[in-house]
Amino acid sequence: MRKVVCRCEDLTEEEIVHAIELGYDDIESLKRYTGATTGPCQGKGCLMHVLRILSQKTGKSIDEIGITTQRPPVNPVPLYILASGEEK
Amino acid sequence: MKVAIIGAGIAGLATAYFLAKEGVKVKVFEQKFLLHGASGRNSGGLTAQFKDEELIKLALRSEELYEKLQSEIGFNFLLRRSGYLKLAKTKEELEEVEFQRRFGLKLKLLHAEEVGEIFPDINTNAFKFASYYPRGGVVFPWAVIWGLAKGCKDLGVEIHDFKKAEVVVENGKVKGVSAGEFHEAEVVVNSAGAWSKEINEKLGIKDERVIVKEEICVTESIRPYLDPYILHVSNGLFLSQSMRGEIVGGIVGKSNGGVGSSFDFLVRYAKLATNLVPKLKGLSILRQWAGVYDEGINGKPVMGFSKVQGLYQLNGFGRNGMSIALACAEKATKEILNAQLR
Ligand SMILES: Cc1cc2nc3c(=O)[nH]c(=O)nc-3n(C[C@H](O)[C@H](O)[C@H](O)COP(=O)(O)OP(=O)(O)OC[C@H]3O[C@@H](n4cnc5c(N)ncnc54)[C@H](O)[C@@H]3O)c2cc1C
Ligand code: FES
Repeated sequence: MRKVVCRCEDLTEEEIVHAIELGYDDIESLKRYTGATTGPCQGKGCLMHVLRILSQKTGKSIDEIGITTQRPPVNPVPLYILASGEEK
Repeated sequence: MKVAIIGAGIAGLATAYFLAKEGVKVKVFEQKFLLHGASGRNSGGLTAQFKDEELIKLALRSEELYEKLQSEIGFNFLLRRSGYLKLAKTKEELEEVEFQRRFGLKLKLLHAEEVGEIFPDINTNAFKFASYYPRGGVVFPWAVIWGLAKGCKDLGVEIHDFKKAEVVVENGKVKGVSAGEFHEAEVVVNSAGAWSKEINEKLGIKDERVIVKEEICVTESIRPYLDPYILHVSNGLFLSQSMRGEIVGGIVGKSNGGVGSSFDFLVRYAKLATNLVPKLKGLSILRQWAGVYDEGINGKPVMGFSKVQGLYQLNGFGRNGMSIALACAEKATKEILNAQLR
């Protein structure tokens, strides 16, 4: 069965495991190489699954792996709304 | 010969690769993950439109090296040669074109209306002139780093990530680096980008380079839409479309330190970007971040051995590292090998 981990980027558990085996075995490298957590939901749906797989494969605890830096904005904002903002 | 390289950005990894091809034993040290530095945070614009003969030559050689390395390593850098467009409000800002042509660059100096023929959705009132370099384009910086790292590993280079390195010097001569443990080396390469200044200052080497922070963001993905890389030299706006379909853009950096992302930047960027390409209005920003780069004196990279014997400087790439660093790494490799023969 195809176990989808990240729906936004259509990534399976197998693909994540393969990337870890290629050496992308820290969370920052893994998310960049696979695209996991970088889709429209920005990881809300998949970050915990990705961390679990990484933890299982590397034997590191979730704390040791660390949560990846949230890049603002949290919700996508269209350019025309930003463009109407006040310039400092 | 043993060489220790500090920093796994484009400069450090490319040098590691070229040296390893000559049979040198190389270790690369990266304080964080690969892509942590400017090489993992930039917009991938490739050009040779520089105001200096040496920079132009390095950029032209880098163009060749991109092709060569892709096939040698067997890795796709996702490089698209669909042109680099410099826009400007006045002709004076593009004076460099005359000079660049003398070095054989095939450039077109265009009026705003002619740019409208290349890219119909551009607002031709937002600028007056443009210098178009058809051989320029966009590369996916992450793929360059992944590919170089793969090439290094295939040649037996050790890449130590999450290892901050310090240069170990005895009697004015490098002994190696300490990174958790000691690693012996006859030559140490300082290719630590914006952090290389700090490394030099610790060793008592005077370093007057400027550190620049630049902010950047990406929108959601859309169908292939924007071909060339666009840089508006009058206001610093840059824009391009990545192979993943995102519109990548930002404003050329200022030396104000820090690496945080700011809301103020998003507002300024949104105004400039939607003024230049009004159709982008409905797109949403998905992520924003900032990067730091180190600017050499007169905009030139710093290359060569320094007063600490065995310490080779390879830094100061400013905003041009993706365009010139491959050729610089090739040159550094030659100089390191030659020094060893003497
Ligand atoms: C927003 C932005 C947009 C840009 N756009 C473009 C563009 O369109 N075109 C272009 O050509 N260039 C562009 N640049 C510039 C380009 O990214 C840089 O010139 C280039 O990446 C520099 O490469 P580097 O290898 O010298 O440094 P870096 O990529 O910064 O690598 C240095 C590495 O050294 C590591 N390091 C530091 N200190 C230590 C230590 N003590 N021990 C171990 N490791 C250490 C760092 O973590 C880092 O990974 C842009 C830069 C930014 C920030
Ligand atoms: S489910 Fe992974 S980014 Fe949305």
